[in-house]
Amino acid sequence: MATPKKSPPINHQKLIVKLFHGTIIVSLILMIGSGLQIYNATPVFGGKDGWHFPKFLTLGHWLAGGRDWHFAMMWLYSFNLLVYGIYILLTKRWKKRFVSGSDVQVLKTGQNPKRKAYAWHRLIYTGIIPILILSIASGLAMYKPVQLAWLAGLFGNWQTLRTIHFITVPISLLFMTAHVLMNLKVGGIKIVRSMFV
Amino acid sequence: MNPNLMSRRQLLQLSGLSGIGLLLNGCRSADFAEGVGNAIDPLNQRVEEMLLRPQALAIEYPISSIEPQALIVNPKKTSPIINPDTFKLIIDGVVNQPMQLSMSDLQKIPLQSMVIRHVCVEGWAAIVQWGGVRLRDLIALAQPQVSARYVYFTSGDGYYESWDMPSALHPQTLLAYQMNGQPLPVDNGAPLRLAAPIKLGYKQSKWVTRVTIMNQLPSKKGYWEDQGYEWFAGL
Repeated sequence: MATPKKSPPINHQKLIVKLFHGTIIVSLILMIGSGLQIYNATPVFGGKDGWHFPKFLTLGHWLAGGRDWHFAMMWLYSFNLLVYGIYILLTKRWKKRFVSGSDVQVLKTGQNPKRKAYAWHRLIYTGIIPILILSIASGLAMYKPVQLAWLAGLFGNWQTLRTIHFITVPISLLFMTAHVLMNLKVGGIKIVRSMFV
Repeated sequence: MNPNLMSRRQLLQLSGLSGIGLLLNGCRSADFAEGVGNAIDPLNQRVEEMLLRPQALAIEYPISSIEPQALIVNPKKTSPIINPDTFKLIIDGVVNQPMQLSMSDLQKIPLQSMVIRHVCVEGWAAIVQWGGVRLRDLIALAQPQVSARYVYFTSGDGYYESWDMPSALHPQTLLAYQMNGQPLPVDNGAPLRLAAPIKLGYKQSKWVTRVTIMNQLPSKKGYWEDQGYEWFAGL
């Protein structure tokens, strides 16, 4: 067997981090599928006459089923993120594993293309987090606009609130696509694999 | 590279992928959603009851922000015609003073008016003015017994609904006979309908003919609830 070309060591991920990461993916897929089912009841763009998502992208068979899934998965989705956030704080992981001042410096003035790609990679996966938090905040505001009026008030009128909540879907999908591509660029399939198995 | 490690990883990857596939296929059936809903509903209802602030007023809007076109009449079927001159609202159940009130009896009670956001389960919303009597004033007149916990609404078109008592006693829960400054139109529930900012639209029965105070919920909880929609439906 030929000796494989020497490559930089891959940082193996802790099991708990793999679980958080996997749960984000699964719960987000279920949230999006059921969310599109709810969207189709009255499209955000164009109202009842607006364009509807094809049935195969939706979850829950009808509006009530979509709502069943959406308001069950919201617990998994948001508590997973909350516990992950606490974990990041307690282990001081946020200091080393997310985009930092030095990454920003590299993006501005760096000459090393590999280091620059790595900085982009960290910027992108860090950027996903505020999008996910926005999806929860806007979702809660729409779920309980009266009891959580202080939160709903931050998003303006109903149409703006619906639009913001919906827009978190294409934006998070865009970030995730960029995240996968940057992963492959920075560490190839090995780094992707390290996050799952 | 260790070939054993690779095959273990591939196996894990494959099983993970097929697991997601199975899960997604399972989710395709409506029954799966019903099971998920039944499993989570007790928790969600507890949270909704905790979130409800029974005396806190929902935001009211200026008259100028009323959106008459945004309020969709749904579903579009023939409305029952109820003669307002002979109509009598029945209030009964676990009360000490069951009663029947005509429209003129109801109109003697001071009019409550509010401009609130009406939110439909389908995702649309409309700013609407409602005028009528506070449900809690009517319930007080009928003198509910201490065991009273729910309010059941029967409608002239066969629709039926049930509410938790704290939501029914909310100061902005009205039995309305006026909408957007005009007498309530037949298609919107004339002569009398429920209107409240704290519940989704399907809780707000039109053509209400009977208000029954109950200490236990019957098995038929509501027209849409019995088909799979959530019962509490608080906003």
